[in-house]
Amino acid sequence: MTAGAIVAHAPARRRLFPSSLWLVVPGILFLLLFFVLPVMRLLTLSFQDPTTGAWSLASYWHIVKTDVYIRVLGITFSISGYTAIFSVLLGYPVAYWLARMPERQRGPLLLLVMIPFWTSYLVKTFAWTIMLGRAGVINTLLMSLGIISEPLSLIHNRFGVMVGMVHSMTPLAVVTMLPVMIGIDRSLVDAAKTLGATPAHAFWTVYFKLSLPGLTAAGLLVFISSLGFFIVPALLGGRLDTMLAQLIITQVQELLNWSFAGALAAMMLAAALLSCWVYDRMFGLSSISGQSGQESASRLRLVAQHVLHALASVSARLADLMRAVIGGQGTARLLPAAVWLVLGFLILPTLVVVPVAFTSSQFLDFPPPGYSLRWFDTYFSSQLWISATVRSFLVATVTAVLATAIGGFSALALARSQSRWNGLIFGFFLAPLIVPRIIIAVGLFYLFAQMGLVATNAGLIIGHTVLAVPFTFVTMAAVLKSYDWRLDQAAATLGANRLSTLTQVTIPLLKGGIVAALLFAFITSFDELTIAIFISGGITTTLPKQMWDDMILQLNPTLAAVSVVVSVVITAVLLAAERFRRPA
Amino acid sequence: MTNGDMFCTRRKLLKSAVGLASVAVAAPALIGRATAATQLTIADPGGPFGPAWRKAFYDPFEKATGNKVVNVAREAEPTAQFKAIVETKSYTWDVCTLTLSARDILTKENLLEPIGFTHADVPTLMPEAISQYWMGTDVYSTVLAYRTDRMKTAPGSWADYWDIKKFPGRRSLRKNPIDTLEQALLADGVPLDKLYPLDVDRAFKKLDQIKPHVNVWWTGGAQSTQLLQSGEVDMITGWNARFQAAIDGGTPAKIVWNQGLYSIEGWAIPKGNPRADAARDFIRFCSDPARQAVYTEVLAYGPTNLDAYKTIPAQRATALPTSPGNLKQMTVANEDWWSANRAAVTERFNSWLLS
Repeated sequence: MTAGAIVAHAPARRRLFPSSLWLVVPGILFLLLFFVLPVMRLLTLSFQDPTTGAWSLASYWHIVKTDVYIRVLGITFSISGYTAIFSVLLGYPVAYWLARMPERQRGPLLLLVMIPFWTSYLVKTFAWTIMLGRAGVINTLLMSLGIISEPLSLIHNRFGVMVGMVHSMTPLAVVTMLPVMIGIDRSLVDAAKTLGATPAHAFWTVYFKLSLPGLTAAGLLVFISSLGFFIVPALLGGRLDTMLAQLIITQVQELLNWSFAGALAAMMLAAALLSCWVYDRMFGLSSISGQSGQESASRLRLVAQHVLHALASVSARLADLMRAVIGGQGTARLLPAAVWLVLGFLILPTLVVVPVAFTSSQFLDFPPPGYSLRWFDTYFSSQLWISATVRSFLVATVTAVLATAIGGFSALALARSQSRWNGLIFGFFLAPLIVPRIIIAVGLFYLFAQMGLVATNAGLIIGHTVLAVPFTFVTMAAVLKSYDWRLDQAAATLGANRLSTLTQVTIPLLKGGIVAALLFAFITSFDELTIAIFISGGITTTLPKQMWDDMILQLNPTLAAVSVVVSVVITAVLLAAERFRRPA
Repeated sequence: MTNGDMFCTRRKLLKSAVGLASVAVAAPALIGRATAATQLTIADPGGPFGPAWRKAFYDPFEKATGNKVVNVAREAEPTAQFKAIVETKSYTWDVCTLTLSARDILTKENLLEPIGFTHADVPTLMPEAISQYWMGTDVYSTVLAYRTDRMKTAPGSWADYWDIKKFPGRRSLRKNPIDTLEQALLADGVPLDKLYPLDVDRAFKKLDQIKPHVNVWWTGGAQSTQLLQSGEVDMITGWNARFQAAIDGGTPAKIVWNQGLYSIEGWAIPKGNPRADAARDFIRFCSDPARQAVYTEVLAYGPTNLDAYKTIPAQRATALPTSPGNLKQMTVANEDWWSANRAAVTERFNSWLLS
């Protein structure tokens, strides 16, 4: 990006855009061209009659008069809402615990949180069926211990869906909250205690309050990314667990009714934007710099203050009770115990995937009947698999840099501006997350065909960047919200120009957020299937596309072997980067 | 992977990173590049189909004509990609496998190129396996499969599947009205040759009876194999080859061919394709019974040219849908009825599931 140049010119243009909102322009242009244009083209189809092409509202009328779509929308929102709540609940103590660690220990432990993130969600979901099935690991264990006599129904119902979704989303919640928590000055908590607050009050009224931007950003990201899930409800859900993305895919792929698919997508988009708006009103996520001004005005915040105090009192009493029952030392161990439970949950499917990768069977049997390296051999001796892996790494790396630059500068612009357009721009950058990927994919195919980008790496990178920008944007916005701008002013007072302030003060201080954004963008691209199916044309295949092709007909342990290889490679790269960053 | 490979890969990675900027500029040249002999890009179902069809069709065709065949995996329902390919004239595929329903949708939208020969040219082909725009290569069948270790009495019909008293056990159905409605009607006593047009109300009434007893509603073929193989369910509906894969892998299970519904997959060409002549040659080449017999060594699908059974071993023939003994117990799923009613029935089915 030419960000440096733009920044250097900034003082001259400040009068024109006093709020430095202009930094958002490249991001907006990018999304206008590669997201709004292709998607609008498809959405206009929803206002046309599929056979005659005349303008008509028939598709929308059909949605209203048949109850099934509204009900599925309700199911989709409820599953996504609960996923957000549980992911944040599970993720918060982990992020809190990690934030307290010295940096040297935090890196490796964070990798542990990220491991499930690197396992393809196709593989993870099948691992859950092996864990939770009727003859699965957990039921077999409980039965052999005599705890139950009949197998429990753990999948093919709402519980199964929640397990799969929360498992996929908790790492996202942790990584979103962590940079904010690291940025909290812990001496404020100590100060509160010195001034007579109980530990519980110090936590809830000081620390928790300061961590709220991270918490709300995590909740929103998880909620919105959950809206588009279709593999997890399809494989782990029951009769009542149909999500809207599944119906949209059927309309696009099987019934070829793009007009109706467009209408369903528009309905989902409208509902999601509405909930974003309500969310923003409640938590003020987009009012990044306007904190103090709004605080006194908002009655809601007053209520929130009371809630925090109540929470503090309750937990103070609970803590007393705990200390009375299990003693002070036991209470101190509660947090690590809870954290390790969550980590165990996150790693559980990986514990299945690793042995299965070494199985001698042609099925995903657990425990494996025998061990062999045949699936690794299949992987390494296949030109197709290797080139797909290399392409995925390449595309994901470029996507990560591009999306972090776009998302980062846009968030920076918003953070420094008081414009009343902030809320709208905020929603705009989240939109690619809400529009079902298949709609984006079909729209992009038409655009790319005109630009000659079909079946190219550049096409894949652009498509993936569109999907990754919301993640990088929200992550950076959350970190920037708690960023102390006086440091920038101090640098300016001391004679630094804007470029050197940015590179020597702002960016180093925001490092945690930037790393998180890069990781999000990388994994978004690395695990992306829908765009790849359309854009790659099957020739320039990526790893998830290759896995999908392989498992359409038959599940075989090659997928597990690939996941193991990928996890090992990425973990090694990240560990090496960690080493490199901090020479001993 | 050896060290050398790793190096090579890394270097390639670097090179591609450097070359990335130029890719965007040079991209148009990458599509539709011409080679001396025609190169056909063929989209097949992927997985085990790739090697099996390479042996049966692609390699012999390359040898016979000098053209090259590159095969890529296509989606289960590639209609959306197909439409996009034709409308934007980005011919990333020259020939693609389509199910009957996809063929009908795409024929109706006028997106297919004629294949250039008729049933009269290949009289031993099943009559349902050829149209003006499409030739069937393999027959699959939707059948009932059960675990022999769990079912005390073996079910033999859809009526048995519906009989929860006489045949207790965990059941799975497909989360899709296609075939499921037929199965309900067959269970209700409708004869195999009088299924169509489907009596939808009667089918849903019969489905009401089994709804509380269905433990898993499956959505993908790979999932159906897994459900049978892992013992998650005792009785399941699905595609014969997916269950055959489990049985070949040692799962104690059996396929019930009685009252099965078969359907056909086959080749079609995206309309306006610049390599349509070579594509037509290829499709015609695949009608050869000896070529079709070759893929049945690996794939449990039925050849559409019934002469293929002259060279297929009798033991293997029992596992194939079009072998004479199996074919006579089944009927073909009626695509005309489905393409006219699919949208409305799918909607009703989804609504029924939620109620």
